[in-house]
Amino acid sequence: MTSLSKVALVAGASLMLLGSPAFAQDKTFNIWWYEGADSAQGITWTKALEELKANHPDVTVNFEQKTFDQLQQSGSMILNSAEAPDVLEYNKGNATAGLVASQGLLTNLDDAYTAEGWDKVLNEGQLVLSRYNELGIYGSGPIWGISTYGEYVSAFYNIDAFEKAGVKVPATLEELTAAFDTFKAQGVTPLALGGASTSGQHLLASLAYTKADDTWVQNYQGLKAPLDGAPYLFAAQTLTDWLAKGYITKDSTGMNDDDASLQFTSGKSPMYVSGTWNLGNFSANIKDFKWGQFVIPTPKYSVGSTGNLWIIPKGSKNPELAKEFISLLLSTKYQTEQANNGGVSFAADPAGVTNPVGANASAVFAQIAAKQGLGFYPDWPVPGYYDVLNQKDTGLLQGTLSPEQFVDEIKTVYDDAQASQ
Amino acid sequence: MAEATVFASNPAKAAVAHAHQARSPMRWLVLAVLLALLVFTLFPFFIALLNAFKPGTDYVRGGPLSIPTYLQFDSIAKFWKDADYARKLFNSTLISVTVSVLAVGISLFNAYALGIGRVRGSTVILAILLLGTMVPQESIIYPIYWMAKTVGLYDTQLSVIIVTAVLHSAFGTYLLSSVMSTFPREILEAAEIDGATRWQTLTKVVIPIMTPTLMVLGTFFFIWTWNEFLIPVVMLVSNNNQTVAVAMGLTRGQNMSDPTLQAAAGLLGILPTVIFFLIFQRTLTRGVVAGAVK
Repeated sequence: MTSLSKVALVAGASLMLLGSPAFAQDKTFNIWWYEGADSAQGITWTKALEELKANHPDVTVNFEQKTFDQLQQSGSMILNSAEAPDVLEYNKGNATAGLVASQGLLTNLDDAYTAEGWDKVLNEGQLVLSRYNELGIYGSGPIWGISTYGEYVSAFYNIDAFEKAGVKVPATLEELTAAFDTFKAQGVTPLALGGASTSGQHLLASLAYTKADDTWVQNYQGLKAPLDGAPYLFAAQTLTDWLAKGYITKDSTGMNDDDASLQFTSGKSPMYVSGTWNLGNFSANIKDFKWGQFVIPTPKYSVGSTGNLWIIPKGSKNPELAKEFISLLLSTKYQTEQANNGGVSFAADPAGVTNPVGANASAVFAQIAAKQGLGFYPDWPVPGYYDVLNQKDTGLLQGTLSPEQFVDEIKTVYDDAQASQ
Repeated sequence: MAEATVFASNPAKAAVAHAHQARSPMRWLVLAVLLALLVFTLFPFFIALLNAFKPGTDYVRGGPLSIPTYLQFDSIAKFWKDADYARKLFNSTLISVTVSVLAVGISLFNAYALGIGRVRGSTVILAILLLGTMVPQESIIYPIYWMAKTVGLYDTQLSVIIVTAVLHSAFGTYLLSSVMSTFPREILEAAEIDGATRWQTLTKVVIPIMTPTLMVLGTFFFIWTWNEFLIPVVMLVSNNNQTVAVAMGLTRGQNMSDPTLQAAAGLLGILPTVIFFLIFQRTLTRGVVAGAVK
């Protein structure tokens, strides 16, 4: 080895020594989510992650596609260990995000909210599920997570079948009933319903919200007073009435959502009430007819909420990168991208959205959010209420419970929880 | 040697006896019932097979029972790729084989002491072990998580291997002990007279006679471990460590599931156990009827 090359080697080595403390050495950024790779969120987040990678060539980005099951089963155990990632998608709500927030496992995002400019994209209404108090109850307290998309329950309808039957998109509940009547007269069962599943209780809540005002919804979701059963009584009576008139088949009692959605996608029933999470499947797989969405006509509240949260675990080694990623997802670029992938965006640029499904869904969500009309889901206030509602809903559809008995039974469970909190 | 088998030999004997009888309407009835059972058992496999290769558009049009208009292999390929299935297959095989060998070994040693040897309070020990197998996993998963985290085994396959092997060997000990307690004393005494040590009695006398039973036990442990869900989903955090059963969860989202992908995953998930069963079914049947022929 010549002396020159020796000098070069020494110089190089000392440069490396000098360099290493200054530059972050071999950083790894761990990120998890569980939205499907084909969903609007999955596609958008993957692209945003590519951009983050390009912006930080010195960082090794390590993404893992998780399952909803895994985080549901062991989320708090993972977050309470060294195995937690730097940022991850987490289920919103008291039992999940609220629980880990109250256990002190998350990074507080109050400062980041203004420092990163998220306050310019989100409004207070879209932060309700980001805030959890020391008991892990949503609605107040510090910001622990950020949602970058919305979801809501609406009626999916078969545009071709509507045109053929000469039915217009209903704007009131009376028009909806009239539309049912027209279809029924033509020998078609108009509404597909998963009576034993989520869509059953979502329809019930949508009907209850037609008779609900601000006080009712806030009391109901906040577990603030014993249940005022009137809206649910109206919903239950309407549902039994629809069943008696044959707007819903008798089979829907034991039907789950997969089968009910099959009734819609196969063209047997022209309407199906369910959430925006169906958009991906319907866009990809319905080829036989045109379809659209309309919101169940209510004065103000619709069943819906902001989506799952991005949370930064307490032990995150790269909180800055995590925040940068959340900022990317909230940027107009990726909000527009998300709408173009058929997702429900908060802040898409309307001029940039070419996908009619995403454009419509984002617009509808914006309307609901603008009038503060996110009524959330009926099972949220009481732990285990999801199963109670499904069970009683089935009883109602089977005819073993009258509408009055139905309300009595769900009121008993609700009031017990309300009294014992 | 009739006693040295796991399963009662009566049904097998009855079947043999039956074969000598003349053809009767009863036989046809039995055949019909068996056929119905067969169709019933194979139906889920058929549904998985049918839908794994069905295009999504066909599924939303016709549902699970419709005949596909053409075959697509995207679901299988997608699940294989998304789940990094080759890796999961390796993980599951590694964990299941290790657990099955370990658990059979532990069960054998325990049962030799409890069933053939004379241990004070062996009935109590067996009862406690049996309790261990009856406790729901959900109730012990949190302590197990803490133990694993404390010793630095959280998110390692070793943790799953240890926990599952111990749980299975509790059942294995109970089963083998009751089998060994009826082990022919004459054989053991003969070995003793020949000057065999306890170790020699175990390896030269007990194990050869018990081999079919041990094989059956091992096969069951393998299949149980393969299908184990809760322990791997809690203990194995990283995707690279996870098993096939956990990876199947990829097809089920929070509100949505993809039925054709689910069918593909189901098919890929059961295939290895079916292949394993086909390879070992000879040892299984031998284990079951080993005592019956003599």
